[in-house]
Amino acid sequence: MVLAVKSEGLKIGYLDEQDNVLWAVKGVNLEVSEGEIYCIVGESGSGKSTVALAISGILPPHAVTEGELYVYGNLVIRGESRSYEKIRGRLVTYIPQSPGTGLNPYLTLGDQFYHVLKSLRGSTRKEAKAEAKKYLEMAGLDPASTLDRYPHELSGGMQQRAAIALALSTGARVLVADEPTSSLDAHLRLQIANLLLRLREEVKLTVIFITHDLLLASRVGDRVAVMYAGSLAEVGKLREVLLKPLHPYTSMLVDVIPTLGVKKQLKCYSGEPPRPGSNDEGCPFFDRCPYRFSKCAAEKPRLSLAEGDRYVACWLYGNRE
Amino acid sequence: MWRAGSTVTASSKPVIELKNVTAGYYTAEGFKTLKKVFKPAITKIDLKVNDGERLAIIGESGSGKTTLLRVILGLLPPLRGDVVVLGEQIYRVPARLRWRITRQIGYVPQDPAKSLNPRLRVAEVMAEPLARTDLSEKEKAERIRDALRIVQLHESILDYYPSQLSGGMMQRVLIARAIVHDPEILLLDEPTSALDVSIQAQIINLLCSIHEKLELAMVTVTHDLPVAQYLADQAVILYRGTIVEKGPMEEIIAHPRSEHARLLVTSYLSGLNGLDRINRAEGVSAGIKRETQR
Repeated sequence: MVLAVKSEGLKIGYLDEQDNVLWAVKGVNLEVSEGEIYCIVGESGSGKSTVALAISGILPPHAVTEGELYVYGNLVIRGESRSYEKIRGRLVTYIPQSPGTGLNPYLTLGDQFYHVLKSLRGSTRKEAKAEAKKYLEMAGLDPASTLDRYPHELSGGMQQRAAIALALSTGARVLVADEPTSSLDAHLRLQIANLLLRLREEVKLTVIFITHDLLLASRVGDRVAVMYAGSLAEVGKLREVLLKPLHPYTSMLVDVIPTLGVKKQLKCYSGEPPRPGSNDEGCPFFDRCPYRFSKCAAEKPRLSLAEGDRYVACWLYGNRE
Repeated sequence: MWRAGSTVTASSKPVIELKNVTAGYYTAEGFKTLKKVFKPAITKIDLKVNDGERLAIIGESGSGKTTLLRVILGLLPPLRGDVVVLGEQIYRVPARLRWRITRQIGYVPQDPAKSLNPRLRVAEVMAEPLARTDLSEKEKAERIRDALRIVQLHESILDYYPSQLSGGMMQRVLIARAIVHDPEILLLDEPTSALDVSIQAQIINLLCSIHEKLELAMVTVTHDLPVAQYLADQAVILYRGTIVEKGPMEEIIAHPRSEHARLLVTSYLSGLNGLDRINRAEGVSAGIKRETQR
């Protein structure tokens, strides 16, 4: 099994005004296999987007890193040093949340493909056009009616498809999609989800799918990592995690999602996720957890094997190494 | 709270009534001309909301939800049609007197972070809707305390600036501000779209309890069908500026008649509603299953 992305003890933080480091990601171990759609689910401030930026190689310069991150065996983060040459935009590519911001508003789609492919491979206009046609078709767009259009002339769903086509044209093997559907309407979300599933089959693309939408994740993902306050709370096969969540936070996430046609009581625990830089002792979910006990306040549980191939960071599951 | 409650009965009086309303915006015809043409955003809308009723206006981006909301709030005069709020034709009274009617609407805007003045403390934000009332300072303070109690916020929050609050707390402050002056109607513009799922659930439960306690008419504008089913009993589906379907919420989910409503419902049921565990455990009505299989 080829690992597309692997991290060991990855910590990422940002410097505040007093030059203190606020850790957004606090020691994350990830293993994403080639051709897998790996979902990272979490709420605002959970660190999921920071992980996405690290994998894509677009962390801001003032970010501080620790631990190691590999992309297809290439060591891109090693402690404080980061090196993404020949990785960023070539092996890994990124599509942002808002489809509009992923595209240059001043260039037609055809020109955008040309500029990308020229800088990567020195392609001519003719070659770039042929490539653009191929990838636009792959993304479910009609090249004849879209190549000469500007981004504002396309609908939100078409813009997101074009952004995916542009990302794929680089030949990247890992696509990091940061909430690619959150600004789209329901049926367009489903179309993008289906497109990602198809691309995985056709070009064996590895997708890191960042989302707060567990329902959408359940539609596309193979495995899921649930993040809470910068740490992984639970990792496992998506279906198993949804059918039988082990971590109290995952359980809460499943219980609070409104489901159409089922009017269940939305059970939610009071409180909100801790702010970055808050006290790091004990379990980060301690304040909201209905099953907490004394050990939870004293010591932070590590992600460990709970059952089958399910990893959980919770003292309820013995927290074996 | 402080208002005698009302109950939804067959004889409940309408608090909002839109008759054949067409509204929109004047836009330039092109880059090289100053000539402006009228582009309707909503066309021939007929809508009635009764006292104590919970209605959802559901539609996707560009369907005219926000325009409809602006018309009801008294902010956008329609091209044609009558807009009656609490028995008064709001666009037939002078604009300087319109606020006397529309102030009976409590309004919760879409994005909490962008809707609070960053320079005002929560106490000042909460006092704004009470500024033009005859209440004494003591009564105003009491009302603010009552509203905060309803949205489950501690009084100490009154000294805070918006930047010191989390997203969920900001939304609670906005809801408290909307109900502090005892409105007859509560208008919610995508009340949970900017919130995380766990906070979204807290706000949904809070809004349901507010409706139960205050028994006011609640109109929720949303694109999210699963959220709408918690916040409304009646629904209208907007598509390209016209109402394509209206009726009881459960009926629309179980038997969507219009093509667009069917697309909306099946988008969730066939894909985005993927938690089979819940569907299996708690049962989905036969009607919904039929719709999914279509």
